[in-house]
Order: sequence, then C-alpha cells, then structure tokens
Amino acid sequence: MEAKLTGIDRNEALLYLGCRGGAPGPDTEAELALCEALVLRTARPRALWRRFRLLPDGSLEGAAFCPAGEDIRAHLSGCREAVLMAATLGAEIDALIRRTQVTGPGRALVLDACASAAIENVCDHFCAGLARELAPLYLTERFSPGYGDFPLESQRDFFRLLDLQRRLGVSLTPGNFMLPQKSVTALLGLADTPRPRRPGSCALCERFETCAFRKEGGHCGKG
Amino acid sequence: MAKAEFTLLDGAMGTMLQAAGLPVGMTPEVWNITRPEQVTAIHRQYVEAGSRVLYANTFGANRLKAAGCGYSVSQLAAAGIRAARAADRGEGVRVALDIGPLGQLLEPLGSLSFEEAYELFKEMVLAGRDAGADLIVLETMSDLAEVRAALLAAKENSALPVWATMTFEASGRSFLGTTVSSMALTLTGLGADALGFNCSLGPAELLPLAEELRRWTDLPLILKPNAGLPDPATGAYTLTPEAFAGALSRAADLGVTILGGCCGTGPAYIRALGAALEGRSPGPRPRADRQGLCSAVRTAELGRTLVVGERINPTGKKRFQQALREGDMDYILRQAVEQQEAGADILDINVGLPGLDEAALMARVVRAVQSVCELPLQIDSSDPAAVEAGLRACSGRAIVNSVNGDEESLKALLPLCKKYGAAVVGLCLDKKGVPQNARERLAIARRILAAAEAAGIPRQDVFIDCLTLTVSAQPEQAAETLKALETVHRELGLRTVLGVSNISYGLPAREQVTVSFLTQALYAGLDLPIVNPNQKPVLDAVVSYRLLSGQDPGAGAYIARFAGADSAPSPRPAAGGMDLAEAVARGLRAETAALTERALETMAPLEVINTLLIPALDRVGEGYERQELFLPQLINAANAACEGFERVKARLARQGEESVSKGRILLATVQGDIHDIGKNIVRVVLENYGYTVLDLGRDVAPEEVARTAVREEIPLVGLSALMTTTVPSMEKTIRALRQSGWTGKVMVGGAVLTEDYARQIGADYYARDAKQSADIARLVLG
Repeated sequence: MEAKLTGIDRNEALLYLGCRGGAPGPDTEAELALCEALVLRTARPRALWRRFRLLPDGSLEGAAFCPAGEDIRAHLSGCREAVLMAATLGAEIDALIRRTQVTGPGRALVLDACASAAIENVCDHFCAGLARELAPLYLTERFSPGYGDFPLESQRDFFRLLDLQRRLGVSLTPGNFMLPQKSVTALLGLADTPRPRRPGSCALCERFETCAFRKEGGHCGKG
Repeated sequence: MAKAEFTLLDGAMGTMLQAAGLPVGMTPEVWNITRPEQVTAIHRQYVEAGSRVLYANTFGANRLKAAGCGYSVSQLAAAGIRAARAADRGEGVRVALDIGPLGQLLEPLGSLSFEEAYELFKEMVLAGRDAGADLIVLETMSDLAEVRAALLAAKENSALPVWATMTFEASGRSFLGTTVSSMALTLTGLGADALGFNCSLGPAELLPLAEELRRWTDLPLILKPNAGLPDPATGAYTLTPEAFAGALSRAADLGVTILGGCCGTGPAYIRALGAALEGRSPGPRPRADRQGLCSAVRTAELGRTLVVGERINPTGKKRFQQALREGDMDYILRQAVEQQEAGADILDINVGLPGLDEAALMARVVRAVQSVCELPLQIDSSDPAAVEAGLRACSGRAIVNSVNGDEESLKALLPLCKKYGAAVVGLCLDKKGVPQNARERLAIARRILAAAEAAGIPRQDVFIDCLTLTVSAQPEQAAETLKALETVHRELGLRTVLGVSNISYGLPAREQVTVSFLTQALYAGLDLPIVNPNQKPVLDAVVSYRLLSGQDPGAGAYIARFAGADSAPSPRPAAGGMDLAEAVARGLRAETAALTERALETMAPLEVINTLLIPALDRVGEGYERQELFLPQLINAANAACEGFERVKARLARQGEESVSKGRILLATVQGDIHDIGKNIVRVVLENYGYTVLDLGRDVAPEEVARTAVREEIPLVGLSALMTTTVPSMEKTIRALRQSGWTGKVMVGGAVLTEDYARQIGADYYARDAKQSADIARLVLG
C-alpha cells in the first residue's frame, strides 16, 4: 500500500497556527493556499506497517515489546492483534521550512502548520487503506508514544521492530524525537467487532502538547 | 563458482544472527566476543556459498550504537574481524571492516556535528585497521555528509581500500535527498575505491540506478540489494534465491563486478548468484560521460553555461563586512537563498576580511549556507587553511577559487583540490601581475594546467580565469581578455571562468556594459560567468544565450522565464499613498524598504527606528493581542519591519557607525529538544525591536548556556522547550545558570509551559508568545 498525500485540511492548519475562531482574512487565506501548494509539492510521503498477534499479557508476539501504561491497555482491550504503523513526509519538508525561516519566518510558521496537517492526511489515508485491507477485522484509532501514559520511550521499540531508519529514512534523537520532524508512529488494535470510541480526555489527544485551547486554560469541547 | 572477474560478497548478517538465537534487542556485535564461534559459523556458510569478501559483524560497532553494551568499540571491532578471519580455510577470503550509519543524524537535520561524526568513525577505523582488516566498507548510508565523514576518517587514518554503498529509493534519491550524481561525484573525488548501492530495494529496482551511476564514475561498481521488497504485514522478503540471482546477474551487463545481498538474503542467495554469474563476463564500461559540481542534493552538470553567484563576498560591501564581524549569519544566508531563487547554479563563498579568522569563518559560513541552500559551492580564497576548512565542511563537490601561475600558490592549493576532489580555478596571473596580452595569459594557463595534471587533477577539472580588467581604466584590455578566453577555450580545450562585473567599475549605467561584455564573453567560450544573479538583465542574457547556443532545447527555460513578460506591470513597489505603519502591518517587505529609505532622507537612523518602525510593530502586536491578527501576520509584519531595519543598518554601516542595539539577549532551545521554529520566531521579533540576539541554536547543553551567559555578560536569557519531556532539561539549565553566579533574568516559553510551571522551574518570566517576549525584553533591558 502506497502512502499518499491528497490535501491539507485548512482548518486544521489554522488550529495549529493558534487561530482561535474568526475569519482569517484574505491575506492569510492566500498565504495558506500558497504554503499548502508548496507542502504538497515538496513532501515525499512514505509509510509502512506490520502486524503482530497480541498475547494475553498484552505483549506483541515475537517482538519483545509489551506496550506500557493504562491508556494503551484500554486502547487495545478486546483486540486480538496490534498493528504498528509509521509515516513521514520526508526530509525535504524540514529543509523547506529551514530555508524559509531565513527568507520569511512567518511563512515558515504557516508551512510548519500545513506540514503538520499534511502528515495527518497521510496517516488518515494510510489507516483507511489498512482498514480496507484488514477487513473483516476492525481497526481502532491511532495511538502514539507520548499520548496519555504511553511512554515516549516506546519509540525505541517502534524503531527496532519496523527498522524505520533503514526502511523509512526516519531517525530517533537521544530524546526520542523523530527526524524528519513531520513523522508519526502509532499503534492500532485489530478486533473482531468494532471498538467503541473511548470518551476522550485532553491527555489522550494527539494535539495535547501543542493545543492552543489548553494553553489558554480552556478546552476544545470534543472530549 | 563465479569467474575471478566478479567479486562475490556475502548476504545478510542480522537475520542470520537472529536465526542463530541472538536475543531481540541485544547489540549484535556483542556476539563477536561472547559467541565468536556462532559468528564464524555464519561467515563460513557464506564462504562455502562462494563469498570471497566477508563483511565483519561490525555494522553498528560505533560508540553511539554500542553504548551500554559492556564492550568498547575496539573490542567489538577487533573481535568482529577475528571472527570473520576464522572462517577462511585457505580460500583467500578478504575481510572488511563494516561501517554502517551512526544512528543519529548529522546537522542540519539532526544535531550531530560533522567533526563528531568523523571522530566516531575514526575510532572504528583505527580499531579495524589494527585488527588487520583488508578493506573498509561503508554501507547503508543515506546522508552524503555522513558518508563523507566516514570516508575521510577511513582515508586519513588507514591505507586500506574503502568501498562505499548508499541506500536509495526508486526515485533516484536517498531518504535524505542525495542524488546518484552527487554521491558519485563527491565520493569519487574523495578517493573511494568502489561505489554502489546496498539495501534499499530488490535487484531489479537497483539496476536503473546502477545505469545512472556508471555515467558519473569510472570506479568499480557494487550492488548488494535486498531479496526484493518486504511483505508489509510481516516484514519478510519475497524473492527466492533463484529469482534474486537471476535479476542481479543482469547487473553484470552494466559492468557491475562486486555483487552480494542485503536484507532477506542468506547463503543460498549467494550460491545462486555465483551460479547465475557462471560463464558471464562483465559488460564493457565506457568512460563516464557526465561531469559536474554538486551539493548533496543538487548537481550542476558541466557542459552548459553555469552561473556562479558572486554576492557572498565582503569586498567593498560595508553591510556585508559588518554582518561577518558580528557573526550575523542570517544576513549572509538571505544572500544565499536570494541568489538560488534568482537562478544561480553555483555560489561563490568569500569571507576574507582583515582581522577575522578566515578558516574558521569559511567553515561556519559553508555549513550555514548548505543548511538552507541547495547549490554547489565555490570556495573563494587563496589562503590554504581557509580553502581546506571550506572543502572539508562542504557536502558535495566544490570548486576552489583560485590558484595562479605562481609556484607557491600551486604548491599550496593543488594538493588540497586533489585530496577533496575539487575542481580548481586558475587565474592567468603570476608574481609579475596580469599579463597585458592574450599570449602571455595563455602561457600561464598552460603552466597551471601542467601543474594540476602533475598533482593528479584531471584537465576537465581545471577552469581558467582570463581576468577582467576595468574597461574605464584600460580600454584596450576588454578585447584582450576575450581573445585570451577564446584561445584557452580553443587551444587548450579547458573550461573558463570569468568575474564579469568588474568590467564596468566606475562607469555610469554599469549593467549596460556588464551585460554586453557578458554576452561577448559567452560567445568567446565562457562556461562559468561569475555574476550578480539578482540583476535581472544579467540572468536574462544567460538564459537567452542558452537558448541561442542549443542548451535549451524546446526553449522551455526561456519561455518559463519570459512568458508574460511583455504584458507584466512594472515590478517597482508602488508605495504611493501608503505609510510605513501600514506597510509593516500588511507584511509588505518591498514597500517597507522603500518607505524606510524615503524616511532616511530626512530623519536620523535612530529616529526612524524609534518613531516609525517600533511603533508600527507595536500596533501590530496590539492587534495580535486583541486577536484581530493571527500569528503569521504578526511574523510577516516583523519580517517586513526587518527590511526596514536592514536599510537603517546599511545606512549606519555606510556612515561607519556601530549598529544600534538596545541590549543583548541569549536564546536557546534546551538540551534534548530539536524544535526550534518557535525560538527562531522569538529571535526575529526581538531583533526587530532592536535587541541583539545571541542564538545558541537547539539541543543546547545547560553548561553551554551558563558559560555563554557569564562570558558574554548577558542580562536576559530566553529558553524554549516544546515538549513535556524536555521541560526538566529547561529546569536543569536554569539551575546551571543560577549556580554559575550569573545574575541576569530568565524568560521561558514553549507549547507545554504555563505561568505556574515557569515559576515552579525557577524562571523569572513566562513568555506566552513572541510578542510577550519583546514586552519582557523591554521590561528588563528598556
């Protein structure tokens, strides 16, 4: 299955930009359109996945990996298998943002937001494709290291099991951040019956780290 | 058995070790010491399958990857070489020290420096050399900078042959964007002994890449592909030994002589490969027909007119000199990106300024330019230390500008060009100065060529500069330069370089003379004009020349540049009716610049800053706080204001005054954190409010922040951390600052921080956004 980037959700990009409601105005709209086009042209999306049987103790068969934390346990409850996936937009996006910081820092910020929305688009397509391929089994939502109490250190296991440096060109820093920056790893459960969406909480949200609402002491109202 | 014309390598090691029971998560190289007989047994299977070069089990035996395994790099590497050697029972097997990627990315994407990478590789090389390795293989690399560090470490610390293979995608680029031509030009230049690809893809997918590679290098070629593509669900590889061998043996027709397998292959694959090569001979290898200069990601192919951008040069430019003295990289980087966008093919880098350490500055500028600009570089200096520093720092294949006919110059610089594989510009002058006629210049060109060839530099890498003299001073010399150029081109068959702009020095309407001279020089055989690509008529002339000389078949480039030109409105900013505040608020850079210039006609520079630019920025900031404006608009306004400040700075530099500063602020993203976009935005805003920012970058150690704050007597330090996991590192940095005896203030910012949290970790101020950081600066520094 090929990774593909089909578009950039402008509202999502605006959210990353800290846009708190209100119309962005024609200048910002035009800037967004330009940056979206640049990101779409520059990204080299890639993704891969691998499935494992889940053992009764919650570990992945043959992987020497037992995802830690209450949240991932709950996420995988009722699942028979686990899917590890990873996706990236590639190093060119980092280079584009770096270059643009020199010539126009404002544009760099918009590019960064568009790229964040773009990697979500890649992941959504990839997981939708996975769901089709793995039917009649049902796939849960994505759950990434660093969400809730699923430790960021689990990135080490993702990298080992998926051989991400070699196969996807993604590296892990000593602090467990991925490079290129617009990269995602996630664990998904695979079950015989559809898994109910668990009521969300801020801590489980993928935007937890950067959420503009939370920073203001507020809430997006979705959880 | 394959014929001796081919060299059979081995197959995968990792999967074989796992099959033999290597526990998941264990450093594979540890078995070299604890289970050497198991490792030797795997090697032996490969020898029996026909392998005659064994890659020792040392792929990850570097200090980063092997940290915490309980053994040193030299122990792991030495035991690895021994275990492979033990598999030779008289077959005459060669044992290779296998060096893979370090596991951490180099700058600019990652934070490992080139020198750190070099030291890590050097440690492996010394260990392998001392353990008796027969050769060194660098494999699975996807970053040209990293493979350069490894190759230099291997060449400078051993006399062993070095083979290098990189990992590519079917698109013809590595994951980090390295192209086949860049890899070939750079590594051939640096003295690799064989080149090719490993891992990446299956044999069928690698063949087109090998076909491209052989057009750029004459070195022996290596292919070590995977057993096809992996099954996504399980990660298992799909090709059978026979299918693998059948597909890979077709590489023989391309003249590939060194073959083996990577992921998913085992002894059966090597045996099948030997059988498939039986009775075949390597196909003929015509000489590589393509040449060029390159960065890691872009190649400027020789054979067409290549524009060398001249703007990174302090000579006669007060503002540039000031930027160099103050270490203002952003100013220099803007010049680089601007020239790339204007259509330059190569950038000349000159940082010679009396009183500055040219070598250190050259390395720093080359690295900084390559972090934002894709163009190949021309290292412009006659100081051997600066030339070497530039060549060493430069990822890709550069030009050295320049040597001249003097013995001393040739002796000092040609060996450096040879060592780093650079092309070289030879100036037609010597101790006696510039000869006044074409004949004598040709004689010097001949002398330079002979010296270059004697130093091992092929003639296609020698570019001759026949020297432009100012036509207003020596009117007869323009014709003499063109004559010399034409003769060098025709009689010596060498490529030519010429700094064109000098022709019009001291004349009105300089562009007129420059473009006319440029056109004549191109027709006389000029290959690499050194010009200011930002001057539109100059680039227009080159693009037109390319069309007329058959370099632009289909006129695609010409049409792309000029389509719509007939009806295009005048590009001059229409500042009429708009005031500076509005121009800043709307983020209009050209207008802001023009209006600032106008204001400077009647106002003092400081007055322009304090009564126009800063209040304009303040108004934007207020709009942002009232949520009428978005962050990008705030930043764009700051950036437009930046153009205004640039004009003020240029005016001050012309008047020989120090630049204005309201005080100095140190910024850093804390250790472990690599997200620096927020910090960079804070920097832009602070600079535009007139503060001098000392930016230590990202992933900065607490001690370095404290040391710098003390040494530079910084009154305000700003720290940024984006992630929850790096906030403790911020706390540590604040503690280091307090313990150092430094008495300034600390402001912190970053997505996960809050006012409370900032207090808790000992910060004086919490900056919610860039605007607030400027407010804090005003509070602390005034």
